[in-house]
Amino acid sequence: MSMVINGSGTITGLSAGGLPSATVTQATLATPIAGTGPAFSAYQSIPQTPATGTWTKLTFTTKDFDTNSNFASSTFTPTVAGYYQVNAQAQVGATSSSISVSIYKNGAAYKSGTYIVTSASYNASIASILVYCNGTTDYIDAYVYIGTSGALNAAQFSASMVRSA
Amino acid sequence: MTLYEKIMALYPSLIDIDFLTTIRLQNDSDGRGDYIASWEHPTLARPTEEQLNAN
Repeated sequence: MSMVINGSGTITGLSAGGLPSATVTQATLATPIAGTGPAFSAYQSIPQTPATGTWTKLTFTTKDFDTNSNFASSTFTPTVAGYYQVNAQAQVGATSSSISVSIYKNGAAYKSGTYIVTSASYNASIASILVYCNGTTDYIDAYVYIGTSGALNAAQFSASMVRSA
Repeated sequence: MTLYEKIMALYPSLIDIDFLTTIRLQNDSDGRGDYIASWEHPTLARPTEEQLNAN
């Protein structure tokens, strides 16, 4: 039932018991809500050394959390269809001339993050995108490019469902 | 010698930005090593295996 205020200020649509409940629950919201959709966060505890000029899949050895067990072998394969906020970050020292991270979908480059020409001790590239996954075959990886080979200082990868399909 | 080094030996005029735009070398961290995922350079031809291995 909808509450309506007409031109004369009369309110209609109220239930016999008074005002509608102000409590927000999953059931009272529209259906395309993320709710308890999959989410994960992982990071690199063993430094990776990508080759110069080569987009290299980032490998993540430690998980902070993986709510639906959808993250394996450094690949995120969500089993619930929907839209996912995906974030990746990698960091190198000044010895590597440049760095960029990229989000891959189904094995192909999907969206690239910032391209950084290194100038300081710590230089980070970040990719943050929204991507649709079909909940069955779609999968997401993070890749890094560095201008001069060197060990990464750090790398992180995370994703969370923000809207169901 | 890495794939990147082989390509640079063949085409020394290439610079960093070429490998971010028109040439994509890739390594899927699956033990299979580096490979050319795409080559769309406007003037330089994609090198053959023979050319790469000659270096």
